[in-house]
Amino acid sequence: MSTPLLTLRAAKPQLTFRAAQQSVRHAASHGAFKEQAVSDPKVETIRRTLYPSNLRNRESPTGGWRPNVGRRLQRAIPSVQAHETIERAWFLHKRHIRRARQAEIERKFKCMEEAMETLYGLDTRLYLEANVEEDPRQKSQLEIDTLKALKGAERRAVDSRVRGLFPRELRVPTDTPPKDGWNHEWSPLTRPLS
Amino acid sequence: MFSRNALRAFRAQPKVHRVHAARALATAAESVPAPVAVPGEAPAPTPARSQWKKPVDNKRGEKDIVQTAVILNRSPTLSRTATAFERAYYSYQSRIQRALYNPLPTEFYFKPGSLLEGIFMKEENERERKAFGRPNLNPNFYKKEKAVELLPGQEEPPKLMPRITEADKKKDIKSLDRKGERNLYLLIQGKDEAGENVWRLPQSDVTETEVLYDAVQRELRSPYGFGMDTWVVSRKPVGVWRPTLPQDSADTRRFLFFYKAHILAGQVRPDGKSILDFAWLTKEEIEPRVDQYYWSGVKDMLSDF
Repeated sequence: MSTPLLTLRAAKPQLTFRAAQQSVRHAASHGAFKEQAVSDPKVETIRRTLYPSNLRNRESPTGGWRPNVGRRLQRAIPSVQAHETIERAWFLHKRHIRRARQAEIERKFKCMEEAMETLYGLDTRLYLEANVEEDPRQKSQLEIDTLKALKGAERRAVDSRVRGLFPRELRVPTDTPPKDGWNHEWSPLTRPLS
Repeated sequence: MFSRNALRAFRAQPKVHRVHAARALATAAESVPAPVAVPGEAPAPTPARSQWKKPVDNKRGEKDIVQTAVILNRSPTLSRTATAFERAYYSYQSRIQRALYNPLPTEFYFKPGSLLEGIFMKEENERERKAFGRPNLNPNFYKKEKAVELLPGQEEPPKLMPRITEADKKKDIKSLDRKGERNLYLLIQGKDEAGENVWRLPQSDVTETEVLYDAVQRELRSPYGFGMDTWVVSRKPVGVWRPTLPQDSADTRRFLFFYKAHILAGQVRPDGKSILDFAWLTKEEIEPRVDQYYWSGVKDMLSDF
């Protein structure tokens, strides 16, 4: 080809269809037109965080470019085989725990079933009374009559413990015990406000 | 199945018409009265569920001894300690997560060059060093007290109580602070029918008119249980023990129904007469103290941990 055509070809701007690879130059960082107070610096920070520059010189917090993950993983795990062995050991450990728990639950359930069937064979009245469903929304007539007579702390105590519901004092296990420990000096006469 | 209506119908009938009430429990097809359990015979084989629709009218015989016992449980107050394997695995997994995490945009969360950013970066470097170092299997290694410099206006971090309490160190079996991770059960030393001192779960007789649940409630409100805030989980028993004791005659049947309850606050107050001594024990601590025959009937109802 003749040199004029080559120079023309070189002068033509290179069209790239990879728009995502266009370098993002933030407004304030562009060469000659650095304006000091273009916008609020907080807004500027938010904009840079939401739309980080895609110049490939730093790891992106949005996860767009993370070149050193492989190297970090290599430092974190000993090897692929070792990692798989560790995973298998863990699943085995979980399986042992699960099976032990399942066995315990089955033993307890068998005890419950045996108790109810024995009661069935022993006395029908006792069996039926044991099977009564307690509806926490309904109060029996006896309870309503008793409640009318109670006042103050006693009434609050009866009101707070709803038949058929969990009491709110059932504590969730924590990592460390409470400051004052277990309340050994509890008395039914001084119940807290419900 | 049995419903509240059936119970109401049953209760409303006077004794004379009990047979008709039994019919009320029958399904359309069944009209044969069931045989009443005769004391002295071997107990009938446990009925399969399909047979529960048959009309029955069993009543406890006069020679039957029906008692209830309560499994009073203090649930764990502390989370479980991780084993060495679990701790190693968790630190291994957190190391992998650190490797995979995207970097934190600190210029967004902290003002560049501020004091807070400096503190955060220092802590972050510490965590990075810990994660990529050897996993230390000694759980106390990272719990050393470090002098923490407080920023102006920052409160002191709350002082945490140690997991091993005073009661653990003294091995005080009456304390409810002991063994926070485990399930503790109340064991009572009382006189049994033969007059001997035995360790067993709290027990009481069921009178002719009352129901098992009422017997349990009565027991928990007795003088020794008055200082405890308890909650019985259900009206249904969780277990039964049918012993044959040497002092019983051939036609006596014994039923000991167990109920599950939780203690929420308070402590046992032994009166020295019926209750001589008590202890709050884990499952393996109960085993050597109780009678072996009793233990064989009870052990499956208690939690292992």
